[in-house]
Amino acid sequence: MDRRSFIKLTAVSGTTAALASCGNPENQLVRFVPDEDIVPGQATWKPGVCPLCAAGCGLTVRVMDADKDVVRDGQAGVVKIYAAKKLEGSTDHPVNHGGLCTRGQASIQVTYHPDRITQPLKRSGTRGEAKYEPISWDDAVAELVGRLDALAGAGNQRALALLGQARTGHRGLVVQQFLQHFGAPAPVRWEFFGDDLLRRANALSFGKAQLPTFDLANARFVLSFGADFLGTWNSPVSQSHGYGAMRQGRAGIRGAFVQVEARMSQTGANADQWVPVRPGTDGVLALGLAHLLMAAKVVTPASAARAGALIDGWSDGLPAYSPDAVEKLTGVAAAKVERLARQMADMRPGVAMIGGPALAHTNGLFSALAVNALNGLMGSVDQPGGVSFTPQFDVAAAARATGTAPGAGASLEQWAAGTLAGGSGATQVLLIDGANPVFAAPRAWRVREALEKVPYIVSFGSFLDETSALADLILPDHSFLETWAENVPESGSGVAVATVAPPAMAPLHQTRATVDVLLDAGRRLQKPLNLPWESLEALLGATFAVLPPAAEGGDAWSEAQEKGGWWGALPAALVAAAGAPAASGMTPVAFVEPQFDGDAAQYPLHLLPYASTTFYDGSAAHLPWLQEMPDPLTSAMWSSWVEVNPTTAATLGIRDGDLLEVTSAHGTLQSAAVLTPGIAPDIVAMPMGQGHTQFTRYATGRGENPASLLAPLTEATTGALAWAATRVKVARVGDPDGRLVLFAGGSHEEGRHGPGEEHR
Amino acid sequence: MPRWGMAADLDRCTGCGACVTACHAENNISTVGPYQAMRGRAKHWIRVERYWEGEFPDVRLKFRPVMCMQCGNAPCEPVCPTYASQHTADGLNAQVYNRCIGTRYCANACPYTVRFFDFFNPEWDKPLHLQLNPDVSLREVGVMEKCTFCVQRIKAATIQAKADDVELKDGDIKPACVQSCPAQALVFGDLDDPDSAVSRLSESPRGSKLLEDLGTQPAVTYLSRQTLA
Repeated sequence: MDRRSFIKLTAVSGTTAALASCGNPENQLVRFVPDEDIVPGQATWKPGVCPLCAAGCGLTVRVMDADKDVVRDGQAGVVKIYAAKKLEGSTDHPVNHGGLCTRGQASIQVTYHPDRITQPLKRSGTRGEAKYEPISWDDAVAELVGRLDALAGAGNQRALALLGQARTGHRGLVVQQFLQHFGAPAPVRWEFFGDDLLRRANALSFGKAQLPTFDLANARFVLSFGADFLGTWNSPVSQSHGYGAMRQGRAGIRGAFVQVEARMSQTGANADQWVPVRPGTDGVLALGLAHLLMAAKVVTPASAARAGALIDGWSDGLPAYSPDAVEKLTGVAAAKVERLARQMADMRPGVAMIGGPALAHTNGLFSALAVNALNGLMGSVDQPGGVSFTPQFDVAAAARATGTAPGAGASLEQWAAGTLAGGSGATQVLLIDGANPVFAAPRAWRVREALEKVPYIVSFGSFLDETSALADLILPDHSFLETWAENVPESGSGVAVATVAPPAMAPLHQTRATVDVLLDAGRRLQKPLNLPWESLEALLGATFAVLPPAAEGGDAWSEAQEKGGWWGALPAALVAAAGAPAASGMTPVAFVEPQFDGDAAQYPLHLLPYASTTFYDGSAAHLPWLQEMPDPLTSAMWSSWVEVNPTTAATLGIRDGDLLEVTSAHGTLQSAAVLTPGIAPDIVAMPMGQGHTQFTRYATGRGENPASLLAPLTEATTGALAWAATRVKVARVGDPDGRLVLFAGGSHEEGRHGPGEEHR
Repeated sequence: MPRWGMAADLDRCTGCGACVTACHAENNISTVGPYQAMRGRAKHWIRVERYWEGEFPDVRLKFRPVMCMQCGNAPCEPVCPTYASQHTADGLNAQVYNRCIGTRYCANACPYTVRFFDFFNPEWDKPLHLQLNPDVSLREVGVMEKCTFCVQRIKAATIQAKADDVELKDGDIKPACVQSCPAQALVFGDLDDPDSAVSRLSESPRGSKLLEDLGTQPAVTYLSRQTLA
């Protein structure tokens, strides 16, 4: 820049506090007048709802001023905005009691992510090329409405489908009402670590199609079958809170904890006893314990009531599950089974739980029913120190929603098969709401091919991932901090809860709340849907208004906005029906050997893809804090790895950090070996989450996706994916190549994990 | 004048790592990316260590959250030529960033390896920078950084109490790790107040201090994990 233009420039921008000390226009700091009244340096705390899993932890959001980059009238500069700075667990929230997990802490980066979709986009390249051009909201919604009108005009309303996470609460209600009033089928639900199998089991055993709540704080004995309840499963912060109290919250009483699983999870690492079992035999061990408790006349078979009646041989004391028989099937020594039974008898109240890999087998429903029966036998249901079910706020009743609630939608597998088969009912317009099945569904389901056959796909996602990159239209949602946030927790609280929070900050980008977009589109149809709510805010106002206020003469809606939700005793009219199918007539179940995909001779090892403490199922892999957070069991960052038992590794000539090739009948991948004693010799394990081909700058092309190896085996009754039922073979293919990054540097020789190692 | 300390109950700690991310969020700790992380340059003011015992199937794993021990007799302090690493009246090992000239002597002297050197200027891909905590200064290249017990929270609560003319109560101050811990394994407070929760826990028969025999006088007490009799 020459002297003349420099003077010109500073003269022009002189009134806007230009900082042109270096004479470099990039260093100018132009400050625009903020849109809102801002008090710099002063923090306020607002309620929020954590979005990263279904647990629905309550948040307290610290909001302060920040300098946002903007361009106004062609002039680049900064403007002060109110921005969320820190998320903390809400202290009095009945689910999380002030705590927050590592993913919840990192969820603030969703809002500020540099690769967030900032405005509506329309596909400009070919499908999957992920090329998009900006489009206005008016045009975008008009395009969606046009597509829906075309379906309605042709009388083909059933060709609209929605593929999404299993959402409940107010958002779930609007989605369901939108589809129902339009005439479309119920949503297709997909979650890799979905718990529908356990809901089904609980409906059969206890009449509640719901995830369980555990009173760990008052338990003296906790027996968990595979459930990563302190890390990723169900309501982990609630359960961790109870766990801490169980261990050290009572004078003179320390609760005991036994974990049954073949690969030590973060949760299992905390157990007093860690009991590895053969894959798919968890239910056998549970019934073996029930057999001993009944034989010792500690309890009577009848105490399990309905849950026991579902098990074959229950009233006869389960003679088929003697300790010797259990040892033969599970690999757990008979003496150990007997000791466990004695501990259960002595340390009461006790509670059993099952989740994660224990259910991800072809016989998963049997295992779940077996553990439910054990809980029934121990008298643990609805008792202090036991298992119960959080009363559910009936949002549909409170909102006076019309029409009958739809039944279960098609499974992802069924939807993909139907779409590929084509025909008159095939999906013409697909809405995608927060699910990424292209990443995690078994390749054999051909979800990607099915999506490619759908003529028109709309995504509401905030990021381009493997699934939303196939969309024709992207209508990005606000982040959870920029809109009304709500959740009706299914579990994790002894009392009914409905969490709600007003927007904590103004939207950063040209985004819109998905619920409001749906309501708007419904109004603009040629045959309007006439959903009775103007917006999500109006719906929330209507439902919370019918809840009983805490203060005399107060109103629950104002109170809820203030404190971040409503919790307490629900009036009977507002308790959701459990929706339980009748158990009578069901043939009692007995153990059936689990099926595994792949010939045992050719594929000698079981593959266990497990929920990552940092990335869960991969949906949190785009957050840089989580990428760089050391995994609790390996200290790995930014990486994928394969966990191998040292004995197995010695047989195969594998050393720590070596590059391995893992092959199933469905795929192959290469990843680094981590030798660990906490895994059975016939199992290799990989964390889910990495291996994205499309998921922002931080996750794309990083690591390997174990789901690419999975067989399409399912549990027969529920259709749930048996994601722990694939066999693989493992071979060493090379030396460490630096792809495994460890924070601890490893307890091994210098330099095994790659170049460098120059700690600090 | 209080003397700040912490207790970590390893019988409650589940190794979940909530403290690690909470610390990043509170203290503007930049991520360094996979390449620099591979070279040992990732910064975690608090980390969860793991100790494996035994072989399959009789395996045990113990977690231990490790942060700056805020030693009463800190090896990092006398080696600093610029008094960047120095002791405060309320028992903290302060790191004065604008005195630090990056000799890294302190990191060499620290037996707990809880000090982290900034090998380059921190970077946040915009707009991730909007999250930065204005109460915590950013550390530039050539500076040593470490856990401060969230001194900004201590100061804020102390000043607020003074402004409101009230006494600080035990539990009013919670560093980010303590606040986030789902199992309430971490407790912070004044060790000179005999009635504070941290004082009571520090005197537990389960208590011990990390590498105490070095004479460092750590302000962090670990309460041992129990076993089933």
